[in-house]
Amino acid sequence: MTQISGSGLSERRFLSRLFLKQVLPSSGRIIAALSLIAAITFVFYRLLHVNATTTGLCYLVAILIIATSGGLIESTIASLAAMLCLNYFFLPPIGTLTIADPENWVALFAFLVTSLTASQLSARAKRRTKEAVDRQYEIERLYSLSRALLLTDATKPMPKQVVQQIAQAFEFPAVILYDRHRDEIHHAGEEDMPELEERLRQVALRSTVFLDSERGLTITPVRLGGRPIGSLAIRGSSLSDAALQSLLNLVAIGLERALSQEAVNRAEVARQSEELKSTLLDAIAHEFKTPLTSIKAVTTDLLSDPSHDLPRHQRELITIAAEGTDRLSRLVTDAIQLARIEGGKFTLHREIHFPSSLVSAALRQMKSLIDGREITVSAPDDLPAVWVDAELIQMVITHLLENGLKYSPSGSPISINARSSEGRVLICVTDQGPGIAEDEQSRIFDKFYRGKGEQNLKGTGMGLAIAREIMDAHGEQIWVVSKEGEGSEFCFSLPLARQGGSE
Amino acid sequence: MSTGRILVIDDDPQIRRAMRTSLTAHDYQVTDARNGEEGLEKLRSAGFDLVLLDMNMPGMGGVETCRLIRSSSEVAIIMLTVSNAEKDKVGALDAGADDYVTKPFSMPELLARIRATLRRLPQPPDQTELRRLASQGVEIDLSSRQITVRGRTSHLTAKEFDLLSYLLARHDKTITHRELLQAVWGPDYGDELEYLRVFVNRLRKKIEPDPSKPQFLITEAWAGYRFHLPKS
Repeated sequence: MTQISGSGLSERRFLSRLFLKQVLPSSGRIIAALSLIAAITFVFYRLLHVNATTTGLCYLVAILIIATSGGLIESTIASLAAMLCLNYFFLPPIGTLTIADPENWVALFAFLVTSLTASQLSARAKRRTKEAVDRQYEIERLYSLSRALLLTDATKPMPKQVVQQIAQAFEFPAVILYDRHRDEIHHAGEEDMPELEERLRQVALRSTVFLDSERGLTITPVRLGGRPIGSLAIRGSSLSDAALQSLLNLVAIGLERALSQEAVNRAEVARQSEELKSTLLDAIAHEFKTPLTSIKAVTTDLLSDPSHDLPRHQRELITIAAEGTDRLSRLVTDAIQLARIEGGKFTLHREIHFPSSLVSAALRQMKSLIDGREITVSAPDDLPAVWVDAELIQMVITHLLENGLKYSPSGSPISINARSSEGRVLICVTDQGPGIAEDEQSRIFDKFYRGKGEQNLKGTGMGLAIAREIMDAHGEQIWVVSKEGEGSEFCFSLPLARQGGSE
Repeated sequence: MSTGRILVIDDDPQIRRAMRTSLTAHDYQVTDARNGEEGLEKLRSAGFDLVLLDMNMPGMGGVETCRLIRSSSEVAIIMLTVSNAEKDKVGALDAGADDYVTKPFSMPELLARIRATLRRLPQPPDQTELRRLASQGVEIDLSSRQITVRGRTSHLTAKEFDLLSYLLARHDKTITHRELLQAVWGPDYGDELEYLRVFVNRLRKKIEPDPSKPQFLITEAWAGYRFHLPKS
């Protein structure tokens, strides 16, 4: 066993060794060649009596035949044998290996050179032909493999199909593929070689070639863009260097394709599940809000029309029903909002917006709730633009405003203030309510947490949790500064458009 | 008091009942339909001034119904939607609605929207402006709100017509979003930029020879819109 680094050279050495092994002449072929020479000698020496020139030419023909059907070694041996026979049986003095006429020396030497050259030439031609046939075979195999890899079944694991296709296309007895990304090993072929698993990992890790000539085993790293992504073990490979490299490239492309396909599939599944969730929540919202719509239409109509001339207690009762409807409606809205954005698994639709327009849009949505409250807004038009999902940020502002309105005395002012600070825009909502005790401040952003005290029951316990989820999704902060008895200030930060927009 | 014929299209019987009772009490003549198909059928037989259209209905949805109504009629349409999402609002306006109200809504709010939608600009465009526009290849027929551009005729809805009239009367001046919204929709409006975006696009499709390269209805970024009326 040999472990060689510097893969290109070692792969070539290994392959040339395999080549030699294959073309080593079998003793059977040598015997056949010698028998042919012996037969010619017998025929011409015993049966037909012709001159030495004719015999020599017949030997040459025989050697050419041997060189074409056999190899260089058989024909060389046959050439020497023929030379000896020619000398012994046909050149005077016959029956000895000596030669009387110096002219015949020249003839014998010419015969030897001719026969050796002829056998070499024809053996080379034959080797070329064989090589060409081999290359053609390899190219055909590679082509069919690349076709097969393109047409793989998307429902089955790709690496498994790759090894099976390789084993099938090249008719290798055993192929093992190590997929580094998944750390999986895939077999195809007759035998299982568990002791090789560690080897495969090492080859992939070190990006070196491993050879086991006893078992005819090669393990080569599979690289993509110089980065090892796995390794491939082949038993009984007679592939040329170039073909092996092409095969490895095909495997690399196949593995990479499987990876990107998986990524696409995962993204598609995530998208579908988000869509399903969204559709489901839309349906729930619709079902809850439909009855609320008729109740609200009825109660608001009764309350708005002075001509109905309602007795006071009836007006009071209808007001209670109307308020209950609003509360239920808010609960449904908040619960659905929270479900939609919880866990951060939703898509942000970021665009460039001006802080002042975000604030005014939020105020517009709150129009009906704001009635009669003093709200001071300070959001200069020259504040830098921000890179946010406007709908969600408006939601944050409305939740903070609602909070302020709910938890501060009905006559007290509320202010919204947008300002630039350290490369961000801060938006703060300040109320003059009772403030939040220090031990509660860390918990108010938790889901369903509501402050102590009766007035806190008005909330849904979801508004601040929603606000925090939205800010988390933007990668920004939301916090509260509050002192008991002095009111609270809720602030959140927004990223500037120039930073985000260039992403 | 206000008068007008209103068609309520909603799949929920309680909502239809509440709308019928309440709107009738406010002196509107009310007809209702259970779904889009029935609504389209009823719309064919009698002249309505306004359609209250539910967005989420089984079968043919509200948006599709709206589109079909628009393909043959310029009646005012208010969509009733559950969702407050921007894309649904824009979807409703794009389909041809004049306004939308989010469920659950208060009756005074809905009545205000109905009044705003039925509200007309007091003044139609001046004859001189119409003539100058005609010399540019755009002919407007005031009585039928029909517009002909290079032989292609289309109808304007009342709101589209009012928006065009207002801009045309103040041609070559930039009108702010707020001013446009308050003039055309009413004093309760002012921040609904999406209305203007959608309505200006709808107008461009009808009036501009090439809507992607407007030559009359010019957007003034961050400020408002301007009607460019070339000298004849």
